[in-house]
Amino acid sequence: MNNLQQKAQQLLESGNYGLIVGYEKGTSGKARPVFIRKAEHASKLIFDESCDQNIAVYLYRQEIKHNKKKVIVANHHTLKSIVELAAENQVFDGDFMVLAFAENGDIIELNTFEEIEKHVATLYHGLTEAEAAMMKKIEDMSLEDRWAFWENEFSKCIKCYACRASCPMCYCPTCTVEINQPQWISVPSHTLGNLEWHVMRAMHLAGRCVTCGQCGKACPLELPIQLLTYKVALDSKQFFDSVAGTSICADNALAIFKPEDHENFIR
Amino acid sequence: MARIGVFICHCGENISATVDCEKVAKVASEFPGVTVSVDYKYMCSDPGQNMVKEAILEHNLTGVVVSACSPRMHEPTFRNACAEAGLNPFLCEMANIREHCSWVHEKSDATTDKAIDIVRTLVEKVKRNEALAPIYVPITKTAVVIGGGVAGIQASLDIADAGHKVVLVEREPSIGGHMSQLSETFPTLDCSQCILTPRMVDVARHPNITLYTYAEIESVDGSIGNFNVKIRLKSKSLDEKLCTGCGACIQKCPVKKIPSEFEQGLGKRTAIYVPFPQAVPNKPVIDRVNCTYYIKGKCKVCEIVCPTKAIRFDQEDSFVEVQAGALLLATGFDVLKTNFFPEYGYGKYEDVIDGLAFERLASASGPTKGEIRRPSDGEIPKKIVFIACAGSRDPAKGIEYCSKICCMYTAKHAMLYKHKVHEGTPYIFYMDIRATGKMYEEFVRRAIEEDEVKYIRGRVSQVYEKNGKLIVRGVDTLLMGQAVEIEADMVVLATAGIASPGSEELAQKLHVSYDKHKFFSEAHPKLKPVETNTAGIYLAGACQSTKDIPETVAAASGAAAKIAGLFSNDLLKRDPLIAVVKKCAPPLYSSCTGCFMCIPVCPYQAIDKEEIKDRSGNIIKTISHINPGLCQGCGTCVAFCKSKSIDILGYNHDQVCAEVEALLNEW
Repeated sequence: MNNLQQKAQQLLESGNYGLIVGYEKGTSGKARPVFIRKAEHASKLIFDESCDQNIAVYLYRQEIKHNKKKVIVANHHTLKSIVELAAENQVFDGDFMVLAFAENGDIIELNTFEEIEKHVATLYHGLTEAEAAMMKKIEDMSLEDRWAFWENEFSKCIKCYACRASCPMCYCPTCTVEINQPQWISVPSHTLGNLEWHVMRAMHLAGRCVTCGQCGKACPLELPIQLLTYKVALDSKQFFDSVAGTSICADNALAIFKPEDHENFIR
Repeated sequence: MARIGVFICHCGENISATVDCEKVAKVASEFPGVTVSVDYKYMCSDPGQNMVKEAILEHNLTGVVVSACSPRMHEPTFRNACAEAGLNPFLCEMANIREHCSWVHEKSDATTDKAIDIVRTLVEKVKRNEALAPIYVPITKTAVVIGGGVAGIQASLDIADAGHKVVLVEREPSIGGHMSQLSETFPTLDCSQCILTPRMVDVARHPNITLYTYAEIESVDGSIGNFNVKIRLKSKSLDEKLCTGCGACIQKCPVKKIPSEFEQGLGKRTAIYVPFPQAVPNKPVIDRVNCTYYIKGKCKVCEIVCPTKAIRFDQEDSFVEVQAGALLLATGFDVLKTNFFPEYGYGKYEDVIDGLAFERLASASGPTKGEIRRPSDGEIPKKIVFIACAGSRDPAKGIEYCSKICCMYTAKHAMLYKHKVHEGTPYIFYMDIRATGKMYEEFVRRAIEEDEVKYIRGRVSQVYEKNGKLIVRGVDTLLMGQAVEIEADMVVLATAGIASPGSEELAQKLHVSYDKHKFFSEAHPKLKPVETNTAGIYLAGACQSTKDIPETVAAASGAAAKIAGLFSNDLLKRDPLIAVVKKCAPPLYSSCTGCFMCIPVCPYQAIDKEEIKDRSGNIIKTISHINPGLCQGCGTCVAFCKSKSIDILGYNHDQVCAEVEALLNEW
């Protein structure tokens, strides 16, 4: 048994905690989320390179939302999402404990939002080299080429909304696309309607996306849709110095106005 | 089933010159749901309104579209007409085919087609309108007046005399403003202090006025009828209740060489000081920047000599919060300093002064006891050159406007000088003489004819010092541009009036608009001169543009009348076109996710949190709640809400979507 498994077993045996949300070994070398309720199942837990999913999305799920004895094993994406969810009042201080990992593999217990926020401040916020290269490739395209690129990608979208389901920040119980009185966004899947959906999703995530890329990983058609939300995240950083998932204060770039904002045309 | 009436107005020829109104009426009569569609020459006239009323009664209409001018013009007219005929006024909509169509297009079929499209969108909207009832909000009958110059004083007294409470906030240790610095006032040459100081005392004594001096506005929330104003009371280092204003501290204060702001630097003051002997309140403050105790940590002479032990070195800034129904901005102006002018020596010549400094020299209570003596050596100047339009009307200096008061006060200065120094010669360089007030022209003529003030029409290019004299080089444009050189003993620049420092920050705190010179903007230059664009916030005096005393007092009384008018009602009637958070049946209760990102978005601080509870009081969900008294219906939260959980009554998602579809879909 490794440290994590031992720790999980202790927590569950102590009776103070009744549920651990973490990762287990999945198929074809991938990790998958697991919900451990019994101490004898603690050995299923793993935490390694393969655990790259953002599982903050489960914290507010109806099934476990009100369970105040839960623990979540968090990678750095999950941690940032927890901070952003806290800023948006979707998770509450004291409702869960976080098990994070130091660089040397030691387990760090984080009990309060303040502790989580402090820990997140030590993490790297930004795109990986591969992601940055993809962004650059698209930004370097001419307008026509870029349009053609996305038109091609969106033509493949089947509007399964896996991107929405996987995103921790898509927590609205009634999504805009499901509102049909009136029907602002068209239901069937066609290129223009798909574009409408993805642009709307990106705009709704402006200043809120923690660049975990979970939407892209979840896409069954492997569309690089995470680049859309990355773009608005990078713009928020560039123009408003606002990075999602760093502060538990609600200071969304689109929600507040500062006199020094990059908007000379207003004055 | 909708029964909509469409009423197309020709607006004389304003609309019918380019739009075929008869055709619009005919086409509109075929829109689904339209029961009656007529056109008429003047729909807003009495017969026109009667057509609307009769149609409502005859056809039992469920909605009315008046296709005419902008809703800003006649929406209230037609809504009232509908109400008189028994139709809820909010079931009446204006289709603007004048400003949005006939005025901006040539006569053509396309123009008529556009008018038809506009009418169709409004027909589709009005079908979805709901009957609404106006909102009444209580009015807090207290006014906060910001600035205690003559404008603030006059307005405070007027509002207080009307029986309402006033809180007067002044930044300096005393009220009085610039008027208290003036010597005599044009065109009557009566003493400024003599007419102002009794008013200052009235303010302090009035039972309806609360005076906060040495105080600034920290923040303002709320809206018309119910503002919440937070005021910072800067520490005076003094217990005002104990201080009797005896002045012992001022006499003994060892720091005596601080240039006095009130005397424009011509006189000196101590570190614990009252700005001038007639100050209201006549109690000192400690200037912490210059006080020895705050610099070196010891001294405390004032504390030792104070007979009532009123000095408080450790006093901190405190805050008061005031609920107010209206705010009045009367923050006044300032004058450009002489160092703004490189051609006149960048302010380095002591004997080149601005008009306000000359007022102090001429004032009986000033540093020279009213004798005109030049600042450098105290000599009585034999020749003074007054330069009007120093900065004003000079686009090259960034000030295009006329400061308006300088022509008159310069004539007055020259006159006062001549009255006090009979052998002296005053020269005035001017561009034009603008003396347009009552008795003003006569006053200037008197200066020229009786007091022999030498007016020279032309600009001054340079002032420089030579052998103890100030050489003024200019041009006389009435002598074919002949160069003029005068050896003067003193030069007075009528520097431009500019916005008071801090105006921009204050405007941003209060959400009122201001112009590029940082003067506050009135809501309408002619018809709403004392209102700002923000309801419930009014303007008076030179904070709007430089004004002389009669104009300032008139504006102050005007603003006071507006505020007293507002306060004459107990309730403020408001259109119910406000935002609401949508609710629905359990288990969802509301699609609002409670992210509360709408709270910082709201410019009116109208959004707070609401807890939805079950019967035993357990909280099921916390969602946003919009205060109907504060919401102004701007719609920012609607656009921001990701789950579309907020609607504006009268402009809900359904209505707006129907309008868009009516425009886009083939008909």
